[in-house]
Order: sequence, then C-alpha cells, then structure tokens
Amino acid sequence: MARSWWWKITALVLLFYTYYEGFIGEIPRMPILNETIRNLYFHVTMWMAMLVLMICNAFYGILYLNKSDLYFDLVADESARMAMVFGIAGLLTGMVWANYTWGAPWVNDPQLNGTAASLLIYAAYFILRNAIPDDSKRARLAAVYGIFAFVMMIVFIMVLPKMTDSLHPGKGGNPGFNKYDLDANMRMVFYPAVIAWTLLGVWMMSLRVRIRRIEWKNEDQ
Amino acid sequence: MKINNIMKKYLVLISFFLVTRFTAFAQDVEMADTMRSEGKIYVVVAVAFISLAILSFYMIRIERKVTKLEKEMKK
Amino acid sequence: MNTTLHQYLRLVSHEVRLEFKNYHALTSLLVYSLATIFIAYISYRQSLDPITWNALFWIIMLFAATNAIARSFIQESRGLQLFHYTFLNPAVVILAKTTYNILLLSVLGFINLSAFSLFFSLSIHDWGQFSLGLLLGSFGLSAVLTLVSGIVSKAHNQAALVAILGFPLLFPLLITIIKFSGNAIQGVEWSLNQPNLYLLIALNSIIVVLSFLLFPYLWRD
Repeated sequence: MARSWWWKITALVLLFYTYYEGFIGEIPRMPILNETIRNLYFHVTMWMAMLVLMICNAFYGILYLNKSDLYFDLVADESARMAMVFGIAGLLTGMVWANYTWGAPWVNDPQLNGTAASLLIYAAYFILRNAIPDDSKRARLAAVYGIFAFVMMIVFIMVLPKMTDSLHPGKGGNPGFNKYDLDANMRMVFYPAVIAWTLLGVWMMSLRVRIRRIEWKNEDQ
Repeated sequence: MKINNIMKKYLVLISFFLVTRFTAFAQDVEMADTMRSEGKIYVVVAVAFISLAILSFYMIRIERKVTKLEKEMKK
Repeated sequence: MNTTLHQYLRLVSHEVRLEFKNYHALTSLLVYSLATIFIAYISYRQSLDPITWNALFWIIMLFAATNAIARSFIQESRGLQLFHYTFLNPAVVILAKTTYNILLLSVLGFINLSAFSLFFSLSIHDWGQFSLGLLLGSFGLSAVLTLVSGIVSKAHNQAALVAILGFPLLFPLLITIIKFSGNAIQGVEWSLNQPNLYLLIALNSIIVVLSFLLFPYLWRD
C-alpha cells in the first residue's frame, strides 16, 4: 500500500482537476463572497485533510495500545505532525479569507475557535512526546493522550458549533451561505478536492514514516 | 442585555437573508466577468499548473529516492 | 464485583485520610485560591458585571483545580505505588482518585464561591442552577486533570506539564460550563439552559469512561 503508485497518481490528477475547476468552474453568484467562494476548494479542504490525519493518529494510537508495536506509534506521530501542517495551512488561509468577507482575520466563531483549540491540543501532544526519553513509554503515554485529546476535539469541533450561531455555513441555521452547500456544480469539485488534499497529506506522512524507518535500521546496524 | 443580543443577531440574520434573496434574483453580484471573457483567467490556471507540476515532479522524485533506499536496506 | 466495590471504597477513604493527615497541603490549596480571589478583588476594586465575574470565577477554579490535582499521583511513596499497581485493579485506582478529587474540588468550589460573594456583590438569579453547574464543572475538571496527572506522573512528574496538557483538553468543558452558569446567573429560563446541562452530563460521562478505559494502559511497566 505504502509503495503502490495508483493512489499517489490519483492524488496528483485530482489536484490538477481541483486547480482547473477551481479557477474555471461555474460558481453561484453570491454577494459578499463573490469570487472568493472558490476558496472552498483550497481552504476548507485543508481542514478535511487535517481531520483525516487526526483520525489516523487516534486509530494508530489504539493499534499501538493493543499491539505494542513501535511502528504504529511512528505512524501516529507522523500523522499528528502532518495534521499540524494542514491545520496551520487551514488557519492561515482561513484568516486571509475571513479578513475579506467577515471584516477581520479573527472573528469569534465556534468553528474557528474549535480548530485553534485542536492545534493547541496537538502542540501539547508533541510537548508530551518530547518530555519522555524512553521509546515504549513515550509511545504508550502519547497514545493515551492522543486518543483522549481526539475525543475532546471531536466534541469541540463537531458538537459545540451545532449549539451556537456560527458564521460558517450550515451551523446554527445560517441562511446566507447555505446555498453553496446545495450547489451540485461545486460539489463535483469539492469532494474530489477533499480526496486530493487528503491523499497528498497521507502521501507526505507515509514518506516521513518510511524515512524514519530507514533511520531506525541504520541505527541498528 | 442577553435578549438584546439575541434580537440583534436575529435582525442581522434576517436582513442578511433578505439581501441575499434579492441580489440572487437580480444577478448583479460583482464577479470577475471581464477577466473571464478576456480569457486572462487561463493565465492564472497556467501559472498554477506549472507550480503544481513542479510539486508533483518533486514528490515523485522523493518517493523514488525513498523506495531506492528501502531496497538498498533490504540487501 | 463486591471486592471491586470494596477496593474502591477503601481507596477513596484512604485518600481522604491521607489528605487530613498532612493537612498543610489542604491549607496551602485554600490559601492559594483565596489569595487569587483577593488579587482579583484588589485589581478590580468594584463590583463586576455577571459575564466578567463568571469567567473570572471559572478561570480561578481552573487554576485551583490544576494546583490541587497535579499532586494527586506525586504525594504517594514509591512503595505504596508499587502496592497499588500490583494488587489493585488500575481502573479502580483511577476511579477512586477521580472520586476523591471531585469531592475535594466541589468543596473548594463552594468555598471559592463564598469568598467571591464576600468580595464582589454577586447577583445570581438561580442559585440552584448555579450550584448544579458548580458541581458538574468540578466533576469534569477533576476527571480530566486526574487522568492528565496520571499521564504526567509517568513522565518524570514535571508538574508544569499538567497545565500544558490539561488546559487544551478542558476547552470544550469550560465553554459549556461558562455558558451554563452564565445562564444561571442571568436567570434564563430552565428549559433554555437544558441543552447545556445535557451536554455537560454527556461530556462528563465521556471523560469518565475514557479515563476508565485508558488508564490501565499507563501502568504496564
């Protein structure tokens, strides 16, 4: 799986598709948003990729606790790292977009606060990892913290925004942007874009995992 | 105070809703139509594609390099 | 089952007795939170509006909780720890510790509340709801921080880590509890505050179940 080419090529092809349709494709005409609605393909997809990588982190944490194989911890570590990369990308792109549509780079929005919180959680995860020198102990504690943190984060970004008004579409009954949820044209670009960015993230993550495994083997010799 | 806040929020929401309704009918939302009709948008696409192509090329290079190293380690 | 319950009760009473035996830890905790409240008082020197003092109250509770619970795994001697983890079920240990910390923090919370009402003229519309919120908040704070201090006790007991690891995990809980008690202060109708109550109960149960499931993995040395 890690070495097969088909999904990597899929990622690249879908990325080209995203960039083409992202600039050329039909979009609904909406006030305030205007052309910036295209950011859906380049900003929201960052969060989706981050979320998938965080699920990856929790999943491999559970695997490690059950099997005690350090390889699983390696994947968990690297997927958290890549999740941070996409999270920071999502935060920065979101700030630029928010500045021009909502008037300020940071507005008090549950969606935004939730994602900032999840970045802080994973920063704490790395601080914990750095504090423990012993390999298997580090893996165990990090897995426990990672699973706990993942559940709290899901509550924060999935449950809490539903209970408050949000500027983001579909949350708290915001009618302004609901239209683009329904637009079939955009959906045909958005879903492939999510798949493209997620696959790219997984690819980069797996490359780092493989490089670190080579390092391990080098140290053993 | 709280109720006032809620009222304010709903007023904003309702007015926003009305505005979107009318402008959506009127089709006079400002978009980059001239850029599109002049075909200059393809310049943007071309530039984006070049950067993507370089990214893809680089990713594939790293991938092959790592695969090669893995094979060497196995020997 | 019966022995488990027996173990649990004995552990809780053991914790209580240990606390009263060296009560200067309790005293220092009390002085810490009273001094913090007094600092808040001399910095503001006036009665605060409900939103401000509610937030201030919970921030002070957060720091008091961190201070109180960070030491829950540290004060035990090495021999006692060894005894605990060889003869007792680790899941029971975490439940007992959590229970004790909940008791401690609830009492501390009500002391803090009386100190607050002494310094600032409080106008709480619904005392019943606010007290319920205080209990549920103490519950969640102590449950999360107990698990985190369990993790940290395995990472060379760096006490500063408890705050770093614990705070990000507490965001969803704090947001909900501040909203709930804010509504209680302003006397919002009970039915409007109910979703927050359910969310709090759900969050607390998730936290307890997770620490029950994850804690045994920490003691696999």
